[in-house]
Amino acid sequence: MRARRLALWALLGLVLAAAAVVWAPNSSYSNQDRDLPLAGASVHHPAGTDALGRDRMVRVAAALLLGLAGAVAAAAATTLAAAAVGALSAFSPAALGAAGMMVCDVFLALPWLFLLMMVRSALPLTTSPGSSAAITFFVLAALGWPACARAVYRGAVNLKHAEWMLQARAGGLRPSQMLRHVMPNLMPLLVPQFLISIPAFIMAEANLGALGLGIGEPLPSWGGMLAELDSSAMLLQTRWVYLPIALLILVLLLVEAISVEARP
Amino acid sequence: MNGDILLRVQLQAGYAGKQVLHDVRFELQRGEVLGLVGTSGAGKSTLVQSLLGLLPWRGGRVTGQVMLDGQNLLALSDRELRKLRGRQVALIPQSPMTALNAAISLQTHFNEAWKAHEKSGVAALARRLRTLLAEVQLPFDAEFLRRRPSQISVGQAQRVLIALALLHRPALIIADEPTSALDPVTQTQIVELLKSLNRLHGTTLLYISHDLVSVLQLSDRVAVLDAGTIVETLPVLDIGQARHPSTLALLKALPVPAEVLLSYRGRSAAESADHILSKCS
Repeated sequence: MRARRLALWALLGLVLAAAAVVWAPNSSYSNQDRDLPLAGASVHHPAGTDALGRDRMVRVAAALLLGLAGAVAAAAATTLAAAAVGALSAFSPAALGAAGMMVCDVFLALPWLFLLMMVRSALPLTTSPGSSAAITFFVLAALGWPACARAVYRGAVNLKHAEWMLQARAGGLRPSQMLRHVMPNLMPLLVPQFLISIPAFIMAEANLGALGLGIGEPLPSWGGMLAELDSSAMLLQTRWVYLPIALLILVLLLVEAISVEARP
Repeated sequence: MNGDILLRVQLQAGYAGKQVLHDVRFELQRGEVLGLVGTSGAGKSTLVQSLLGLLPWRGGRVTGQVMLDGQNLLALSDRELRKLRGRQVALIPQSPMTALNAAISLQTHFNEAWKAHEKSGVAALARRLRTLLAEVQLPFDAEFLRRRPSQISVGQAQRVLIALALLHRPALIIADEPTSALDPVTQTQIVELLKSLNRLHGTTLLYISHDLVSVLQLSDRVAVLDAGTIVETLPVLDIGQARHPSTLALLKALPVPAEVLLSYRGRSAAESADHILSKCS
């Protein structure tokens, strides 16, 4: 419990520091300092610059915020969708519920990496960086819900046969009110699902970006910055090129530490 | 026995491929307490769910008639039936702890039960709760109502469920073995409470139990359910004239003769105890 609180504070500190860096006056993640590509630490660029002369500190900070915000939003969306599909399937007639779960199975069976490549290749090349970020996290959320929906369905089916459900029905509660009774019982299932999804989505975005399927330039992202590390010549230039990957691992560790105790 | 009939039941019920209730017929007069006794497996729970129209929900089916105030409940749509449940007919369940939702507070239980049939807001509910909780001898304070079901005793939980059943002043209350999960002291208190509520409001009560002792204390008439059929119905005071083997078997299982138990009817538990103690000394 203490480790969890510590991780929460550390992550909050990291986010605030990143926000301070990103929104500091004169800081820009896309401005190029053409005289200083791949520079080491200096007064103007505390963590050096990348191959295009952009400030690495600002880019890493922006990637941290974007990655975390996107992952949290996608996790929230996926958990909500899973709660809706799982609970509705459990409480509708058996045939409809089975159909709902069948849809989940189909989604689970999709070759998602291939699908993602298809979706990205179908998009016009002029897609703005902002929409590419939105699409990336939307696709992650769209692919993330079925496994969670199955878990919610199982939990809700157990609740359906609970004695208090019968009692609530005997009291004449409306169907919408039954939901008010059911939701608090599903929270112990939904909260861990939400928390576990966050690091999974951060990781997925980093992997997709490294493959060139993620968030488009010039928006900074974990994946985009990892992709820069693919040449050994780059790795020898300055030690600061390792900053993104070190920070990504730190963020993942913190998020995992926060979610670990909520695991079922 | 020609008073105002509140409930007239004549039904058969069962699950796929298995008939549980073959022929259940009984009547309840307004203000009466009918004790329905039967051994385990006689079909008591199936009967409760049939009467409330909840059996289809548990995968069973019912045929026949449940006439409440001249209206056949079995012919109503689910929507119409919902409006009657809790307002006209209420249920006091067998195991209080599992019948309350552990994830929400007592106040939320009352709020939701209130909103199911009443449009008037929180203030009206608070007024109702003030008298209601006093009747069932529970504290009317915010701290108590904020508690979760796991934070109260099993006896308090059963009082909460009785209060929930009484909330809309239903014409009929079905009590499904309301004391079987309780310790003997709490059992006595709950039976006393039901008795006083019946006297106070004239609430009609269908008291279902396998415990003939409490049935003899509480009921005006006794109906015996055996293997899915009501085999005998008679006034409690004429219990000595029972003929059916099932009734006789139940009577035989009593710790003391029925006449002795009946002689304590109408007294409170404390009075009865005093009476016995004075006889012993």
